[in-house]
Amino acid sequence: MRLLLYTGKGGVGKTTTAAATAALAAERGLRTLVVSADSAHSLGDVFGRSLGPERRRLAQGLDALEIDARQVIESQWGRVRDYLVDLLRYQGIDEVVADELALLPGADELATLVCVEQWAERGEHDLIIVDCAPTGSTLRLVTLPEMAHGGLQWLLRLQRAAAHVIEPLARGLVSTPLPSAEVFAEADRLFYDTLDRLRRRLLSPETSVRIVVTPESMVIDEARRALTDLCLFQLASDAVIMNRMLPEEALREPFFRDRGRLQAEAWQEIESIFAPLARLRAPLQADEVRGIPALVRHGMDLFGDRDPALHLGEAPRLRFERDALGSRIRLPLPEIDAASLEVTRVEDELMIGVGGRRRKIALPVAFARLEIDHVRYRGGQLVVSFVGGGGGAAASIESVA
Amino acid sequence: MRVLLYTGKGGVGKTTLALATALGAARHGHRVCVLSTDPAHSLADALGRPVGPHPRAITKDVYAREIHAQVELDGAWRSIQAWLRELLREEADALVAEELLAFPGIEELVSLRAVREVEETGDFDVCVVDCAPTGSTMRMLRFPDALRIFMEHFFEFERKGARLLRPFLRSFEAGRLLPREEFFDAFERLYQEIDEVRQILLDGERTSARLVVNPTRVIVDETRRSFAYLSLHGIATDAVLVNRVLPDSVGQGYFSRWLEIEREELEAIDRSFPVPIRRVSLRSAEVIGTTALEALAVDLFGDEDPAARFAKGRPIRIRRGGGRTRMEIDLPGITKEEIEVLARGPDLHLRVRDGRRSISLPESLIGRPIEGVRFREPILEILFGDD
Repeated sequence: MRLLLYTGKGGVGKTTTAAATAALAAERGLRTLVVSADSAHSLGDVFGRSLGPERRRLAQGLDALEIDARQVIESQWGRVRDYLVDLLRYQGIDEVVADELALLPGADELATLVCVEQWAERGEHDLIIVDCAPTGSTLRLVTLPEMAHGGLQWLLRLQRAAAHVIEPLARGLVSTPLPSAEVFAEADRLFYDTLDRLRRRLLSPETSVRIVVTPESMVIDEARRALTDLCLFQLASDAVIMNRMLPEEALREPFFRDRGRLQAEAWQEIESIFAPLARLRAPLQADEVRGIPALVRHGMDLFGDRDPALHLGEAPRLRFERDALGSRIRLPLPEIDAASLEVTRVEDELMIGVGGRRRKIALPVAFARLEIDHVRYRGGQLVVSFVGGGGGAAASIESVA
Repeated sequence: MRVLLYTGKGGVGKTTLALATALGAARHGHRVCVLSTDPAHSLADALGRPVGPHPRAITKDVYAREIHAQVELDGAWRSIQAWLRELLREEADALVAEELLAFPGIEELVSLRAVREVEETGDFDVCVVDCAPTGSTMRMLRFPDALRIFMEHFFEFERKGARLLRPFLRSFEAGRLLPREEFFDAFERLYQEIDEVRQILLDGERTSARLVVNPTRVIVDETRRSFAYLSLHGIATDAVLVNRVLPDSVGQGYFSRWLEIEREELEAIDRSFPVPIRRVSLRSAEVIGTTALEALAVDLFGDEDPAARFAKGRPIRIRRGGGRTRMEIDLPGITKEEIEVLARGPDLHLRVRDGRRSISLPESLIGRPIEGVRFREPILEILFGDD
């Protein structure tokens, strides 16, 4: 099953583009599901139909739904949530408020991933397309399984340890409800099983991210940073879609003459930055793109004869190399400021920081006993070279223009 | 200090108009600080030059700063981090503690602290906040309320619990699992800071929200609801700014249908919001750099001071008359079915579509029964009887 995540800055037309891709794919015989993950849903608007958290059949082979985070969380982790609500109510907090507080941050992103995973496992579709929230949230979405794994499992273990020791003592002293074994079982399922599956799904070769842009430099700047972050977390992007290109006819308006020149420049920039990803473009239509026939036409303008579900391009991925010269890791990180790079070895993991974002990469066993020798950033690639034996864990970064 | 919150749906031009407002206000003699709280920062893109986590001078009187959660946390939560590190010493390391604290939700919190920091310097008359798209902004605004409730009901209890348990647990390995007093102190300080920000945001004379829209249906619909959520949280919107209006000159050609659609939406905007509307037309090139942004400010505000308070209304009002008291809240874009009202003890719980808030009732209304709830679009009226 193919999974496509559509992302981009707010207002670029992600929803329309995702819906057009879905409509065209269904028209060409793929069993397709399109999911809106932006809590400010507008997918229903684009189809001209009202949508909800239940799957709705819109045409032959075309299903759509809008995720309701609260509902997903409730059905999946009802017990953990109930415990939190109980705990808060016990402290004299009103149920309405407790209910609110128990909806943990990150819940929207988690709900999206869980919902997509459930549909993927049902195997009823050849293609699932996710219309993501704007870039900031999308990054949170793709980093969530990893962050939660790295951080929250410690917290959980901690709480469990605390409950074990404190419970017998605490019963008499503090009458706070302590989590039951069921709560822990459910939380375990979340941390060790579900998050793992979600992570595997995101990293699967069947999953691609598509970045939607418009011919404006502010939008392209953000897309460029998004691509770096996606690379850092090893999410494979396969295409950049430039939406709302003004057609010849529109450029004849004197007012838009400058825009014509600017959009040609923007396209040049896309060509140079985003290769080897596929670069696609769609025109600004003369009317709102609403309803399935208009969406299919828009999809045709975008993909032509190409299969919209295909792997359209290949972004280079993280590589581990070992040869006579030594061992190294290559990570493509387009267009970053080398001064903002941080590379540290933490036990059997490599921590890479770019700007404010950090991620850890598990080192293969063959690298486990090695130490970082030097780190280089050149031609959009981060290369971390290793040597055998003891030594320091951090390394200075050498930037080569 | 005036605080102007710029919010709206993604891509409508919040950053551009926030910067134009700042530069325009500077021409009226104000010293202005622009904060970006959207984790996908674009101040630098709109200015065409770098902006960082520390205030940077853009012109003589305008400074800009991007809030990076990681950087803020490194400075602000030192003692809490230290506690976590100590706690996790054997199994983990500093990085894990950092990750724990960088969990989503934290961004909203540190953004709020930054507003207070700007005020504290005493260097600025105006703080323009370029907020994240509507959803995150609402979460940011809800945060102080949630924290207040947490502190009032939960926090003191925990602190006492820790005090009680500490002597018993000292001999156990688990003793170190209990947070120490410094942790509670740090948390309390943080709470006080956030509460101060809450006071600033709820004061209509100091703080106004500005909603940025484009004349398209989906955006206008969502913005109406944003207006309602802001009202619900007691934040006064003093203007709606319509960005990217197609100029009439594009009249008959390829854009004729778009112009038609826009006219309808512009009318809908005028009808929908009980505050002044300002319009600015689409430019023939992208607005980047201070010169272009200053020109945009002139188009948007004319001779007016962009930092002025354009509407004096309050989003939540208590009115007395005819022996009765009623509470009024402006809720445009909401239908009757989407509203729930519940008074319990000293709080009034309101659920409006997917937004919720608990409002502390004024002393005079506590314990009085709700006699009726009426929705006269767009105003929700809650009628209180005698006790």
